[in-house]
Amino acid sequence: MNGKVAKEDLDSRIFDTLNIILLVICTVIIVVPLWNVIISSFSSGKALAEGGFIFWSPEFSLENYRAVFNDSSIWQAFFISVSKTTIGVVTHVFFCAMVGYGLSKKYIRGRKLYVAMGVITMFFSGGMIPTYLLIKSLGLLNSFWVYIIPALFSFYDVVILMNFFRNVPDSLEESAKIDGAGDWHIFLKIFIPLSMPAMATIALFNGVGQWNDFMTTKLYITDQSLYPLQMMLYEIIVQSQTQSMQNIGGSAVIETTTKGVQLATIVITTLPIVLIYPVLQRYFISGMMLGAVKE
Amino acid sequence: MFKMNKAAGKKGVKLCAALLTAVIMITGCSSGSGGASDGNWVSIEDRYTVDPEKPAWQLDKKEEVTDLTWYVNADWWNTDFGKDIVTKKIKEDLNINIKFITGDDTKLNTFFAGGDMPDLLTVFDSNSPVVQKAATWAMPLNDLAEKYDPYFNKVAAADTLNWFQLADGKTYGYPNYSNTQADYDSGNIPAKTAFIIRKDVYEALGSPVIGTPEEFENVMKQIKEKFPTLIPFGFNSIGEGTGSLGDTLQDFIGVPLETENGEFYDRNQDEDYLTWLKTLNKVYRDGNISDDSFADDGTAFEEKVKSGKYATMLLDGTPQQGGNLQIYLSANEGKEYVAIDGPQSTKGNAPTLNQSGITGWMINFISKDAKDPAKAMQIFTYLLSEEGQLLMNYGIEGETYKKNADGTVELLPAVKDLQLHNADKFKKEYRMGEFMFFGHDRHKALSADAFPEAIKQMQEWGKGKLKPHFILENISPNQGTPEARALSAINAKWNSTLVSMVRAKDDASFDNALAAYKSFLGENRWDDIVKIRSEKMKQNKEKLGIQ
Repeated sequence: MNGKVAKEDLDSRIFDTLNIILLVICTVIIVVPLWNVIISSFSSGKALAEGGFIFWSPEFSLENYRAVFNDSSIWQAFFISVSKTTIGVVTHVFFCAMVGYGLSKKYIRGRKLYVAMGVITMFFSGGMIPTYLLIKSLGLLNSFWVYIIPALFSFYDVVILMNFFRNVPDSLEESAKIDGAGDWHIFLKIFIPLSMPAMATIALFNGVGQWNDFMTTKLYITDQSLYPLQMMLYEIIVQSQTQSMQNIGGSAVIETTTKGVQLATIVITTLPIVLIYPVLQRYFISGMMLGAVKE
Repeated sequence: MFKMNKAAGKKGVKLCAALLTAVIMITGCSSGSGGASDGNWVSIEDRYTVDPEKPAWQLDKKEEVTDLTWYVNADWWNTDFGKDIVTKKIKEDLNINIKFITGDDTKLNTFFAGGDMPDLLTVFDSNSPVVQKAATWAMPLNDLAEKYDPYFNKVAAADTLNWFQLADGKTYGYPNYSNTQADYDSGNIPAKTAFIIRKDVYEALGSPVIGTPEEFENVMKQIKEKFPTLIPFGFNSIGEGTGSLGDTLQDFIGVPLETENGEFYDRNQDEDYLTWLKTLNKVYRDGNISDDSFADDGTAFEEKVKSGKYATMLLDGTPQQGGNLQIYLSANEGKEYVAIDGPQSTKGNAPTLNQSGITGWMINFISKDAKDPAKAMQIFTYLLSEEGQLLMNYGIEGETYKKNADGTVELLPAVKDLQLHNADKFKKEYRMGEFMFFGHDRHKALSADAFPEAIKQMQEWGKGKLKPHFILENISPNQGTPEARALSAINAKWNSTLVSMVRAKDDASFDNALAAYKSFLGENRWDDIVKIRSEKMKQNKEKLGIQ
């Protein structure tokens, strides 16, 4: 008996040790390049050119950051990024919660049809050009709202919320109704507070997505004052690839950005989301699975 | 994980699909993607009367500012307009305001799909359907010139116009950096390829000759011994292509452009060239070519040029690297890179260096939706004229440059100083040499300031070694054909094969890589591609009047 326990103990310890080793390896693989980008962005051009360092730069300098922040458009882009992310996340979560709340009620008429329609959109989309035409005829080209309105709804998020709301006991709703609460009141005062973990999960998903998204800008925005940070980063990175373009004309010279400036921009664009992530992380862990299992 | 959900319908599934189709049909067809109309031929009666002897921009009496949108199919294009000396002058002279839009092929497609064409459009790929089918969406330059600005024909190169003619006998796009046979003959176009070596290394080794494969191998070994911190041999970053080890090396050792009976010649399998690849492989096995050279992107390569990491380089695009070479030279007097003869053909062929061809680089169009095609045409003429070219390259006389008695042009000291020491400010306030829609190398020859000191000796070395490659331009199968798909697979295969060959562990793996490439050709319609190419070469010769 005792031997068996000890054996299990040993087994689980071996298992745990292997797990830890594996996870450490994974972490190192991810962290080292990140660290290298950060360190390189604080390096002088000379040190970068000579290369050869991984963890610590031989020559520190803030020159790259000075160059990036000197560009006035980066502040405008930062403002756009922050506003599109905050407005986008709040509206998206609220909108999806409303839809999810409605669809979580069994007495809704046509619920099956709505869900079926939603599921279809999860697998099929109109494609790039039809979507472009739609956005164009909605008059959303070159408008800030193109970041918000098309991103309001995601059926994937609705499903998560729907299942979450279903797990709230029906008796709660019934007793509230008896006390004279209306649908809005119940939704806002009871269901939403109870579903905070799920909300935070979706907010995080969507927030990271909004922050990192540049395709929307690339397709629908030509006005530079509406560029978010990611688009600036995209342009800076792309600039550096011009040299490798084939058949560059005669003696045409295109000035490209240096590697240091690219790295500094990467750090600046990624930092905010990296800082916010741990704050929401705890909700994320609890919320992700909560709505997944039906009672 | 960010999924934008497309229009969620409010009807049943079938209905939804039907509706969607209908919507696409309606929007797709009603917008008439520039195909239906025949252009916006505005009347200029109350503005000016055309004069073949005078550019129309000087005659046009249009009062209000013309706003134009100009799409450039490159994300790196600088979209400022009217803030620097060059574009401010253009803005004033032509009374226009240009809003630039940049993007890549995705963006370009949305324009064609959405039917909202910009007034002017610049693309880079002469083989793309956009250029091939220009007649459906662009206005013909011949008619535009006749109606609005006959002076255009004085400043445009006839050969270039002919080269870009479409099946209907009209020309729709005009490129920059298009060099005609006359340009090559004039000697005004500088070479842009060179085999360069650091002067200190060259002198320390006693100015060796590096012509034969054996000499090349030995010199690389000597460099390794005497300069252990340097990488003996480097080349342009490989990236998507073959760096400077493909066509550039072939041109450098003078691999023939065509077979003896004027058909397509597979230069990649030329014996002479393969001998040199084998040599490079030996140099690699000696540890004298760095593995990093194959992995570096353009930026990493430039950083190495800036810091003089390579003892020798086969460099393509000396003007593009001019800035970096200059930075290195300023910091390391006496160690600068110099061009030497370098690798020679083992068969006695002379080098046939390539420069920008007759197809040029950026191709500019005026779309059928242009609000004021007369103004758009004036821009073409203006930028192509001597005046526009001088402005683009050197700015304004008296303000940024002065003309010397011998006809040469010289930047004023303050401007030159800024260009050397504060490139960012120079770019923002002056922007000379950058607004290059209709740029041409011939005007670079007017000034000693056109190129940095660091590359002048390289250009001098290249004199007389250029040979037009016109017959090989645009000879790939048309886009969208199975042959075109096969060719892009072949090109990708060739890139990886080249790298495998140079990095082969032993002769056997070198031969295996080459054999695999050959069998890949057999499986991918190579014979058809060769046929198409030979046919297109024939057409090119007819266009150019070469027998």
